[in-house]
Amino acid sequence: MRLLVIEDDNTLRESLVNQLGEAGYAVEQAADGREGLYFALEYPVDLAIIDLGLPEISGLDIIREARDKGKTYPILILTARDRWQDKVDGLSAGADDYVVKPFHFEEVGARVHALLRRSGGWASSMMTAGPVVLDMARQDVTVDGAPVELTSFEYKIIEYLMLRAGQVISKTELTERLYDQDFERDSNVIEVFIGRLRKKLDPANSLKPIETLRGRGYRFALERNQSE
Amino acid sequence: MSSLSARLLISVSVLLLLFFGATVVVLDTAFRTAGEQARRDILDGHLMQLLAAANPNDEGALSFPPDLHEERFNTIGSGLYGELRDDGGQLTWRSRSALGLEIPQGGFPRLGTRVFERESLDDGTPLLTLSLAVQWEFPDGELKPYVFKVAESLDSFNAQVAEFRRQLIGWFAAIALIMLLSISILMRGLLRPLRQIETEIGDIEEGKRASLSEKFPTELTGVARNMNLLIDNERARSDRYRNTLDNLAHSLKTPLAAMRALIADKESSPQVQSRFNEQIERMDEIVRYQLRKPAASTADNLVLGPVPVAKEVERLVSGLRKVYHDKQPTIEAEVAPDMKFRGDTGDFLELAGNLLDNACKWCKGRVSINVRPSGNTPAAAGGMRLTVNDDGPGIPQEAAEALLERGTRLDEATPGHGIGLAIVRDIAKSYGGSLTIGQSSLGGACITVDIPPAAERR
Repeated sequence: MRLLVIEDDNTLRESLVNQLGEAGYAVEQAADGREGLYFALEYPVDLAIIDLGLPEISGLDIIREARDKGKTYPILILTARDRWQDKVDGLSAGADDYVVKPFHFEEVGARVHALLRRSGGWASSMMTAGPVVLDMARQDVTVDGAPVELTSFEYKIIEYLMLRAGQVISKTELTERLYDQDFERDSNVIEVFIGRLRKKLDPANSLKPIETLRGRGYRFALERNQSE
Repeated sequence: MSSLSARLLISVSVLLLLFFGATVVVLDTAFRTAGEQARRDILDGHLMQLLAAANPNDEGALSFPPDLHEERFNTIGSGLYGELRDDGGQLTWRSRSALGLEIPQGGFPRLGTRVFERESLDDGTPLLTLSLAVQWEFPDGELKPYVFKVAESLDSFNAQVAEFRRQLIGWFAAIALIMLLSISILMRGLLRPLRQIETEIGDIEEGKRASLSEKFPTELTGVARNMNLLIDNERARSDRYRNTLDNLAHSLKTPLAAMRALIADKESSPQVQSRFNEQIERMDEIVRYQLRKPAASTADNLVLGPVPVAKEVERLVSGLRKVYHDKQPTIEAEVAPDMKFRGDTGDFLELAGNLLDNACKWCKGRVSINVRPSGNTPAAAGGMRLTVNDDGPGIPQEAAEALLERGTRLDEATPGHGIGLAIVRDIAKSYGGSLTIGQSSLGGACITVDIPPAAERR
């Protein structure tokens, strides 16, 4: 998952970026409104965390502009102004949720989880598809109730694929959204990881949770179980 | 041109000038016309006299007696002249008064007609002349045409007209001056209360008085009352501001002191982080509470606009639907048509936002908000009854009472749940309204905020 953090306070931004990075997200950061708007419009982003009080271009304007340009990724606003007027303005402009400063990182983490999940069309943090259950909060995966040991990168891939279950995800998109830096990764690496994931999730090769669509990418193929 | 009296005086002067100017022109013309008509009649009389005095002599021509009846014909340079010309334009007789003067010959009128003309002597003296052509029948039956002409100098007439004009202008100028003088004296009197307001405001600025006096004419009492309201409000605001800052500073000092003690106390290191967090939490609560206090106060009535309630409620509800996306509560909003709240938009959002947020947080799945005018007042009067219901666990009686009775200082309050309601209560109070906590028909809490119409707030 690639997140964008736009926050002008250096301490706060760096701490957020570090903690989100530790939580397994690839994070872009911008320290002012102008740079933030550029990133928000031009970068592949799965979720943006935007401070409302930014220099140069306000957070509200960035949100409006991004929504005007058809960006649909979830937006979480950070605000020091606790009055409802500011919250309502932000939400009306197109944000999806807010966190009031000062906050605990856990709160931001939980909101980010929930928003990502929602944007993939999942109602609960337990994503269940057939026998496969992924718990975003605990970052673990079980198949038929048995835990599956995954490396953090393998987890990132299955989380991304399951969040967008049913959609075709290209190798480029996977590379863009999962790697922290822009440097070129050999797409073979992705293939290797997918191969390992298949073995771990489906040792008997009976479930076939991840389809390969030649020349197009991958798709998480199991039906979502959504009773919630 | 910022002075009212200067503006009035200038406008009145221009009007007077136009009015009197037109009057002078009309009167002058009328006087002149009437005078000239009289002159013509007199001139006609003189002509008749000449006709009567003319006698045919032995030489077959007309002659006049040496002394005419009108003495002015006999006196040299008298201003009244007569002459007679034959049909060739040849002068046959001239009155003694015209001795040495050359009266212009003028045209030859048709027989039997009178012709008035304005002519002048060689020295420029203006003349009014009357010529009459007649056919004179001599005793031998011969008919000879003659032109009789009388002329009168207009010098004295012009002098009369000039004198009349001079007097007219003189009188009118005097009247205009008197009028302007009276108006400026009147203005001075009328504007005195305004100058008094100015002086009194100056006194207030210098601290010599507390408010404007009440002795103003009816038209200004409203202004004076509103000025006093503004002054009171300004004073109250600065008091409130100072109190808030005071409270804020003092209430932050305790947690700061606690934190300093924690740093100094090296032995308590394992718990330092959580206790530090506790203090930060506390400071945050204090700051949040102070920042969200009401923006407006009752005395601000003058500057409060009508808040379109339906639109704001809709914005709020759609925002909360996003925030509580996972819980997906059913939020029913019912707002009286054309409902307007006279107050600050931020305050309204604070009232409705806190109540709805609490309701969404605690409900099982149903929340309703209802806004209608308070009592039987019309929707435009600005008073309102805002009710929020939910189907959650409700608020226990003791907690509700404690909250409603508690003082406003948040550092004494328990953090967490209460802050939203405490803010709602404070805002309701600042509008002269009240907060009631009860049991909802949905099963949970029913919270009602009553705000009286703008005119009744005190």
